[in-house]
Amino acid sequence: MVTFIKIAWRNIVRNKKRSLITISAVGFGLGALIFIWSFVEGAHVQMTENYTSLVTGHIQIHQKGFLQQAKLETNMAGYPALLAKIRNMPSVVAVAPRIKAVGLISSTEASAGVEVIGVDPTEEKKLSRLAARIKTGQFLGETTDQDIVIGAALAKNLNVVLGDKIVVMSQALDGSIASGAYRVCGLMDTGAEEIDKGVVLITHAAAENLFAMAGRTSELAVRIKNVKDAKPAALQISEQLPSSFEVLPWQTVSPVLQQWIEFDEGFIWIIVFVVMIVVAIGILNTVLMGVLERTREFGILLGLGTQRGQIISMIAWESLFLGLIGCLAGLILGLTLSLYFHHAGIDLTVFTAALNTFYMDALIFPRVNFSQVVFSLFLVLSTSIIVSIYPAWLAARLKPIDAIRSL
Amino acid sequence: MPLIEVKNVSKTYVTGKNIETPALSDVNLWIGPGEFTAIAGPSGSGKSTLLHILGALDFPTAGAVIYNGRDIAALPPDEQSLFRRDVLGFVFQAYNLINTLTALENVEYIMLLKSVEPVERREKAVAMLKRVGLADYIHRFPNEMSGGQQQRVAVARAMAAEPDLVIADEPTANLDSKTALSLITLMDELNQEKKTTFLFATHDPLVMQKARRVIWLRDGKLIEPQTEI
Repeated sequence: MVTFIKIAWRNIVRNKKRSLITISAVGFGLGALIFIWSFVEGAHVQMTENYTSLVTGHIQIHQKGFLQQAKLETNMAGYPALLAKIRNMPSVVAVAPRIKAVGLISSTEASAGVEVIGVDPTEEKKLSRLAARIKTGQFLGETTDQDIVIGAALAKNLNVVLGDKIVVMSQALDGSIASGAYRVCGLMDTGAEEIDKGVVLITHAAAENLFAMAGRTSELAVRIKNVKDAKPAALQISEQLPSSFEVLPWQTVSPVLQQWIEFDEGFIWIIVFVVMIVVAIGILNTVLMGVLERTREFGILLGLGTQRGQIISMIAWESLFLGLIGCLAGLILGLTLSLYFHHAGIDLTVFTAALNTFYMDALIFPRVNFSQVVFSLFLVLSTSIIVSIYPAWLAARLKPIDAIRSL
Repeated sequence: MPLIEVKNVSKTYVTGKNIETPALSDVNLWIGPGEFTAIAGPSGSGKSTLLHILGALDFPTAGAVIYNGRDIAALPPDEQSLFRRDVLGFVFQAYNLINTLTALENVEYIMLLKSVEPVERREKAVAMLKRVGLADYIHRFPNEMSGGQQQRVAVARAMAAEPDLVIADEPTANLDSKTALSLITLMDELNQEKKTTFLFATHDPLVMQKARRVIWLRDGKLIEPQTEI
């Protein structure tokens, strides 16, 4: 076996140009796979982080039935005790209460239907990035229950500026008309149209007053250490709460985003398939050329009594070596690119509008996923060996005397 | 008792549009153990074809090649391969060494196929290379040696695994007369030392003189009587 490995290795060294072409094909293929996967992984993490930090949180806890029909009646009384219990769970980073209701917001010139969210400013800052998206003015304060934050796009529609007064009207928990006047303290620009045009924020205390929800809340939004653990963490929290609560990971709250990510991952497989075809053709071409060039040599080996299986194993070793060196090159290329752009970011400002629709920023930061790197390695390496089967079979079925006579 | 026997062997090549070219016609021949025999004849007489059929590198159109009671021409490819490995040593006209292996590794190659232990394999290969006068060239690659040196490596390779029969197809054709004579003398010495049977094709009278038996071929047929020297 050692001699066949030696012959295989020396054949690679003997024809440096051909070997370099094969190694380049494998290297670029693997490098491209690692980079594409890192880019997509980075984009998905960013998409998920942005969405969950602006809208849903990683996990939501409601009185059962709230997800199906969000109404004030489906609320959690005595929530502060629940809040404290959840906050002490090991996987939880932050938890904040939210009162959610639909209402009508009016300025002196126009009005619009919105979702009114009452938030605890201090806890909300730990949980979400809403405060960080204030474009003009400031976020809600603890003692300013008459303040309201609205989207910059909504402000434009209502023709209001910072400091202007606006009125919110809705129906309270007790059935009475809920009405309150607020002063615009901040304009937020999240990039997501549905938030910037359709969400207003007031303090939780103000919302309790407005909607007659004293001591109650609609939702507890939870942030955990790693968004990818949302499902098991939700299950863990659920096990410690009474069955009258629903504990929902973001994937359940927003299946559309989850479906989009799954679709995107499915699309990546098409790209992977195309890259692998290119790699396979590259390797097949050079290995086949190598076999055809060495027909006489294989004839000699067969003539001396070498078994067909030994010829096949020799060519397979050759391909394995080429694959391994190519993979090493691809690993260096793919990881270098991915890690560089992980820090520098890939500037896609030109696509900002489209990216915002999917809760992505103009700068995408690729993230290397170890299991994807290992899988790419396996894929490229096994392809390089599989495509050597045909040339090896061709060499093994040569008639020794015909092969020896060939030029 | 012959070592190998050719019975009524004919070979016809079919080329182009079913054009049949007879290369051997009803050849009968036996080779005894320890012979040092030349197959002589002009170009196109069928010398190489006969050697290739004897060496299980080619198939006869008709007839049989008997070794140890078995028709080797009728064996499946893998068994023919084992026959070549275990019974034969080859010396080709164009040396046909493996370019990626050194002289030593080339000589070791067939022993490796026969699973000879590494230490024994190396000792035998070194001894054989010394015997053919290439002690200083054992780590050279074929392209670092002259034609004569390469052919000596080929002889060493053919002999190292101690075959019953060495088949040499025009082994001196690419060598100058001095080197050719030196090579055939070496083969003669090895034949006498090891009692290995040598069967070689040649049309060189100088080489023929060294043979102890010369089999003449013309137009694919044996010419009687065969010369016994």
